[in-house]
Amino acid sequence: MIGRSMDWILAFMGGALLALMIQYNSQMAQSTNPIMASWTAHGLGMVLSFLFVLIQMSMNIEKGINKKNFKLPLWLCLGGIPGACTVILASMIVNSGLNLSVSIALMLVGQVVFGIFSEALGLFGIRKRRIGPADFFVPLCILSGATLIIFGRSET
Amino acid sequence: MTFFIVLAFFNGAVISSSRTLNGQMSSQIGPLHASFWNHGVGFAFLTAVLCLTGQWNTLGLLAAPRSSYLGGVFGALFVAVSSFAFPRLGATHAALLVISGQMCTAMLIDWDKKGTGPTLIQCLGVILVLFGVYLTRILKPTSEGEPDEA
Repeated sequence: MIGRSMDWILAFMGGALLALMIQYNSQMAQSTNPIMASWTAHGLGMVLSFLFVLIQMSMNIEKGINKKNFKLPLWLCLGGIPGACTVILASMIVNSGLNLSVSIALMLVGQVVFGIFSEALGLFGIRKRRIGPADFFVPLCILSGATLIIFGRSET
Repeated sequence: MTFFIVLAFFNGAVISSSRTLNGQMSSQIGPLHASFWNHGVGFAFLTAVLCLTGQWNTLGLLAAPRSSYLGGVFGALFVAVSSFAFPRLGATHAALLVISGQMCTAMLIDWDKKGTGPTLIQCLGVILVLFGVYLTRILKPTSEGEPDEA
């Protein structure tokens, strides 16, 4: 029971880390520019993730590594490029005057809509799924929530 | 402001593609290796862009508050934390908890910056967003939890 609670806490903290990541990257973008902010974040992230890989290797934890079918298509190796762009765009959006919670909610709408679109077409090698009317209720729900967050702020 | 709202939607689409690509790579080489690779490719790409556009701002980098360097640290930490917890939780719980953590923390940060707390309507908005995320998991086929950066 305690172990399970720890996983819940860790996942919640993971979300907190993401919000903090966007906030501090945006702060860096204000001092420099969005591209430099993404570059700094990726540079530091690369060093830290390398350390984590070393720790993983030293502890012999090989969860999720499929050694039998190690075939990585070239296009998959370029996954870091859209990631770099998301950091640039996120810092531009947060620094535009939209506050952090609004920015995150709106990006979530885009994620969900594009996710449904990707599944309908089977993009990026993911499994195709038949999309029904209920799927459109989801972005509507999230967009309604985002609208309430945007327009529900107190006037001070 | 409308332009940035549309840009936020577009960035959501880019985040979704990035997350899918990272997930595919994670299933092949593990999330921590994939994280290192993606950070490295992103860093190389941005170095090239900065060299081409000449947008280096070393003075700004040195003058930036120390806390602003934490963005990259938190990103890498997220992958490490989630690669440990997500497979044990499953995709539905993991997504809900991550989004909950994101939205709650974002509202706290906004509260700290602006000095005014969230209104009841904004809290209702967060609940609606979480409900929408919950629906995405119900409608999707179940899959192994994977770390992804939103």
